[in-house]
Amino acid sequence: MENSITDEKIIADLLPQKFGKAGKIWVGVLTVICLIGLFAYYRQLRYGLIVTAMRDYVSWGIYISNFVFFVAISLVGSLITAIFRLAGVKWGAPLTRIAEIIAVAAIIFASLIIIVDMGSPERFYYLFTHGRIQSPIIWDVIVITTYFFISILLLYYPLLPDIKILLRFKQKSGNGLHKFYNYIGSFWQGTPAQFKLSEKAINILCITIIPVAFTIHTVTSWLFATTYRPGWDSTNFGAYFIAGAFLVGSGAVVVAMYVFRKAYHLEKYITEIHFEKMGRVVVLLSLLYLYFNMNEFLTPFFKMKKSEEGYLNGLFSGDFSVVFWFAILIGIIIPVVILLFRQGRKPLPMFIVGIMVIVGAWFKRYLIVTPTLLNPFLPMHDVPASYHHYFPSWEEWAITMGSLAGALLIITILARIFPIIPIQETLTEQHEKAI
Amino acid sequence: MKRLYKNFSALLALALVFAGYNTFAQATPKGDLSIAINYFVDNNTVPSLLVRVKTKVNGRFQPVEGVSVNLFLDKDSAGTAIGRVTTNRKGEASIFIPVSVKKQWATSVKHTFLATFKGDKKYEEGKADLTVARAKIVLTTADKTITATVLELKDTTWTPVKGVELKIAIKRLGGDLPVNETPTFTTDSTGQASADFKRLGMPGGKSGNLTLIAKVEDNELYGNLSVEKTVNWGVKFTPVNTFNNRTLFATRDKAPIWLQLISYSILFAVWGVLVFLVFNIIKIRKIGGQV
Repeated sequence: MENSITDEKIIADLLPQKFGKAGKIWVGVLTVICLIGLFAYYRQLRYGLIVTAMRDYVSWGIYISNFVFFVAISLVGSLITAIFRLAGVKWGAPLTRIAEIIAVAAIIFASLIIIVDMGSPERFYYLFTHGRIQSPIIWDVIVITTYFFISILLLYYPLLPDIKILLRFKQKSGNGLHKFYNYIGSFWQGTPAQFKLSEKAINILCITIIPVAFTIHTVTSWLFATTYRPGWDSTNFGAYFIAGAFLVGSGAVVVAMYVFRKAYHLEKYITEIHFEKMGRVVVLLSLLYLYFNMNEFLTPFFKMKKSEEGYLNGLFSGDFSVVFWFAILIGIIIPVVILLFRQGRKPLPMFIVGIMVIVGAWFKRYLIVTPTLLNPFLPMHDVPASYHHYFPSWEEWAITMGSLAGALLIITILARIFPIIPIQETLTEQHEKAI
Repeated sequence: MKRLYKNFSALLALALVFAGYNTFAQATPKGDLSIAINYFVDNNTVPSLLVRVKTKVNGRFQPVEGVSVNLFLDKDSAGTAIGRVTTNRKGEASIFIPVSVKKQWATSVKHTFLATFKGDKKYEEGKADLTVARAKIVLTTADKTITATVLELKDTTWTPVKGVELKIAIKRLGGDLPVNETPTFTTDSTGQASADFKRLGMPGGKSGNLTLIAKVEDNELYGNLSVEKTVNWGVKFTPVNTFNNRTLFATRDKAPIWLQLISYSILFAVWGVLVFLVFNIIKIRKIGGQV
């Protein structure tokens, strides 16, 4: 017998499981939302960007907010997998695959939503044929492609030992999945030479992904900061974006931890200690993001330059104040307060906090984009009344919700195909503990 | 018969009510218009008239749009009609003196322009007149000195006029720039006013040309006169076209070399690592095949 009973139990616990009734309903709902989004996108292609509420001034609306949100959330792959690994944080090991899956799903939809925002999709092709290396938009395209490729490799390499295990359970996997596992990983024999090459590759990936991850979100922030507008004209933007990205990514991991733990009964593997530690990480990141927010808003508020007055008043006490204070309180301050208490770092409160962080972060991205565009340095003159306001059309909402559902669908499907917790790593850890 | 009388009485009462309403409506006072005529001669060519129409709203004058004013030369008759103009949203309307009144124009050195508005539902009728003497400015230049001479037509002779206030300036896109620190000049007994050109170093386009302008504004006798002259006193401005240079703002093939070097180096380095890692998978696959 190759493995002990404990090993077999671990494998049985961690093997991907078929969808139950709730899982099927979940997939069905997500698919319907995606289809509505696709229909809305068809309408946008058919009638043009006029179906959106975006006009001459607010030319970046909910799509770009959503894009920034996706890019932000994708950064968690580099945090949990790479930074934790290189820093020798062992407790993060069961969370690496969750983080990588979230990163892959998010980066796919970040790319897609950009194409949606362009209007005509062939413009994406023109970016390659006519794009200028001087433009931050081209840097973003390059770096997103690079990050996507690295994330795929970082998901794939640690999967190889698990594929070998999955191949042993043909009956449980079914023919289709077995063939797929066979195609992507049958060559893995677990020899020392293979392990050595794999370990080396993962280390290289971990080192590479960190600067690329920092670049992806810094460049995204430069899309804003390199233009001269109220609220975007900031040297702080790169760091501010990265801090926010790590926070929302961690929030997403916490939510996913809770959901997978409940759905697949993984209490023994994703323990309360993991929630406790992730809670501390989220507190740290929330405080860091709060600090950057204060930098971002307090000094302009103190100066209250005439040209920025409309924008700042709109955020603090005007049209956007409800959303602004919601994002700050729900997305940053209240999570800190909850997580400072030990009871707050239990799974359920952590799950609620994770949701709060994600929702707050989504609205925060909306606030980064829209209020600035509605308050240009040169005041609006002789423009139609609709140019003075922006509220997304139903097509924009449908496409945005469709993209969010699409990302969740990818995460769900990947969790159905691959073990959500690395099996081989868990086994090795158990063996090390036994010794 | 009694019923018919009753109906008649009711109809009569109704008619009285309407009549009373109409009487009340007619009693609403109409507004008064203030009409002003301005006379212009630019570069000693065909004179033109500018009519300004205003009315008082809440104690303040506001321009009135859509008012049609008939203009006449010297007398209100068909033969001396200059034309009919309608004010724009600034309450202004302008017209050149037409050839049709040339004969009348030649009869005198002084003329009176008449403006009449016949009145409408909103405004009472209105009138205005302006009398001007025919005059012109002659602009001469020598050694960066500009001399403007104001001449009035007396009988058949252009005679210099003393004591006329005028401006001598450089015509620029955003307004007129005085040629030196003196804002206005007054003509002497020879009808002349001289100004030294002190705006040295003034950009004057590709050829270095500047347009000088001498202006008499809102003069009671002569109206508005102006004359321009082009002189070669500006600094030649040759625009440097950086369009084809390597800049951050140029087309993709004109990207700065340093930027291309740095960005492509980073790109090749990172993608080199990724390609290496893909080959690494092939290596792992080969090892698996050998076992």
